[in-house]
Amino acid sequence: MVKKSRLLQGLMVLGVAMAFLVGATAADCAPKKDKDKIVIGQAISLSGPLAGGVAISGGKIYELWVEEVNKNGGIYVAEYGKKLPVELKRYDDKSDIGTMSNLIEKLIVEDKVDFIFPPWGTAWLFAAAPICNKYGYILIGGPGGAGKLKELSLPYFFQVLNFSETQAPVLASIFKEVGVKSVAVIYRADLHGIEFGKSLIPDFKKKGIKVKMNKSYPDGIKDVSPMLKEAKSLGVDALVVACYPPGGMLFTAQAMELDINFNAFFLTVLPFSPPLFKGTFGKAIEGVMGGGAWNAKTSPGAKELVEKFKAKFGEEPDYWGGLYYWASLQHFQKAIEKAGTLDQKKIRDIMATQKFETALGPFWYDKDRFFVNHPGEIGQWQKDVFEVIDPGVKRTAPPEYPKPNWPKKAK
Amino acid sequence: MLLTILDVLIAGLLLGGIYALIAVGLSMQYGVARVLNIAHGEFIMLGAFITWTVYTYLGINPIASLLITGPTIFVIGFILYRTLFTRLRRISPTPEAFEGSSMLACFGLLFIIQNVAIIIWGADMKGYSYLAVPVDFAGAKFAANRLVTLGFALVFCVAFYLFLSRTRMGKAIRASAQDSDAAGLMGVNIKQVLAICFGFGALMAGLGGTLISMSYNVQPTMGLEYTMIALIVIVLGGLGSITGSLVGGLILGLIGSIVTYIEPGLSMVAYYLIFMLLLLARPTGLFGK
Repeated sequence: MVKKSRLLQGLMVLGVAMAFLVGATAADCAPKKDKDKIVIGQAISLSGPLAGGVAISGGKIYELWVEEVNKNGGIYVAEYGKKLPVELKRYDDKSDIGTMSNLIEKLIVEDKVDFIFPPWGTAWLFAAAPICNKYGYILIGGPGGAGKLKELSLPYFFQVLNFSETQAPVLASIFKEVGVKSVAVIYRADLHGIEFGKSLIPDFKKKGIKVKMNKSYPDGIKDVSPMLKEAKSLGVDALVVACYPPGGMLFTAQAMELDINFNAFFLTVLPFSPPLFKGTFGKAIEGVMGGGAWNAKTSPGAKELVEKFKAKFGEEPDYWGGLYYWASLQHFQKAIEKAGTLDQKKIRDIMATQKFETALGPFWYDKDRFFVNHPGEIGQWQKDVFEVIDPGVKRTAPPEYPKPNWPKKAK
Repeated sequence: MLLTILDVLIAGLLLGGIYALIAVGLSMQYGVARVLNIAHGEFIMLGAFITWTVYTYLGINPIASLLITGPTIFVIGFILYRTLFTRLRRISPTPEAFEGSSMLACFGLLFIIQNVAIIIWGADMKGYSYLAVPVDFAGAKFAANRLVTLGFALVFCVAFYLFLSRTRMGKAIRASAQDSDAAGLMGVNIKQVLAICFGFGALMAGLGGTLISMSYNVQPTMGLEYTMIALIVIVLGGLGSITGSLVGGLILGLIGSIVTYIEPGLSMVAYYLIFMLLLLARPTGLFGK
């Protein structure tokens, strides 16, 4: 009797469990709640001191990508069995890190966006990466970045842009190749300037290039002529300035105004921007080197990007990060399509391990989730084109050395 | 060595001329109209953008554009005072209260003007190259555009000084600065005079903006650093003193140039140090009463 009741009990429990299991399977087979678009949130500086940087570097690439994706009907997500158009939901962080952090939380928690696009600037990325990571949201770094981000080791953060650690050795190799014997290194007294300024010195020394001057300047400086004159008086072959656009503009303008010429003239963050650099100085920029680089000759995809960008915005794109961000978004789209879902973790795992073909060629991340296949490290303006002058296969033109003197009359 | 000293001195004067010009306007607005215009730099930015626009799109050279920027910014300043500050002045219980509320209003203006500029011109930096050629002077080289800037800055400051000291309107402005109530009783149209005064301050900022755009790039957020410099200069020279602003500007330019020559990293620190020391040691400035 007891045995019988035990058996019955066992059968009942089994039955209940079966019912649950079958129910769950049935629920799995039912179509997902429908979705009509993918919403991507971005807190970025549309006003305040950073807005200028957003406008010349990176900001427009995201707009162009969204437009391009939607032109093709959207991103195909197998889970929904259709292409989903993309909507970019942008908030202005007013160039304030605290505001940006709050806005990203709002986008994730309140607006419940599907994905997050990066803010603008290295320090902003530093602040945004842990937030996105906390919520398990993928963050593909855009404009900005530093080696220090590796130390954070955040599984959902992907670094796209290159910086001093890969650019400095290439610049030193180019200088060695063209016969630069001595340099003056001037850097802006901030994270970018110090990191770049510091990383250059050992690379130059390794190549036997003498660093005759190494000075910093503060943000907001109004006259850099004493530094230019000092560098000239030391008889250096090359002037290297780790700067942001305002400083770069001042060094270029004053070198030009005072007719101070060097055989090589390199600025980190400025020459890549045709609207600002070429738009201001015209033909006078011939021979100026800068951080970057890529151009329409880099790949067929790069050529297409230049054309599309010009058609939409009426100006040339940023020849440093423009192609990187563009390709990172293509890689991201392919990872979504391969995952067949909008699940962040599944997409993240594909992004971290798989290589996809993009506008710049094959695109993949290394073990630290840093993008490594840069189209170029150093560029130089030659006859209206920002050529890649890296040694090796990425080179689109050999370096022009010595740089021609500033023209007698600018523009 | 002598050449280096000359080089540093002239570079300082070139910088100081601009500093003086932008400080004169702020000094007038605060010294007479009692408005500590935190948005002063935004008027400089507007002047710079107007010049960039007419030069880039219409080919009008920056020097000629002074005739456009000056009057345009004057009108903006005048209208702002008549609409915003006149009312604030009327409803403020004391002059001190007006100073406080007008400063807050300027703070709001700063963001409004900045954002309007972003809407009109976009957020990105802009620039042009004009008179970017060297001029040899006693064996040293200086930029032609900076020399022109210094020349105009000095001419504007002197003209403004003469206007204040030799004309009837100038006398009315000076009277209002000393005692606006008494000046009103003597038949001075205070509302008008203060608005003109504020307009002139804006005009000087606009002209400064034009001259600045010849040497520096232009962007909607450029104003604040110039406001800071102008504040340091008027503290150095003395509030409401045109001579003080002129001399203060030149001194600050010279200090900047000397420090930049010795250690460029300290050039901005030097400005703020001077500012702090003066506030502690001589808050009335060199020429203040």
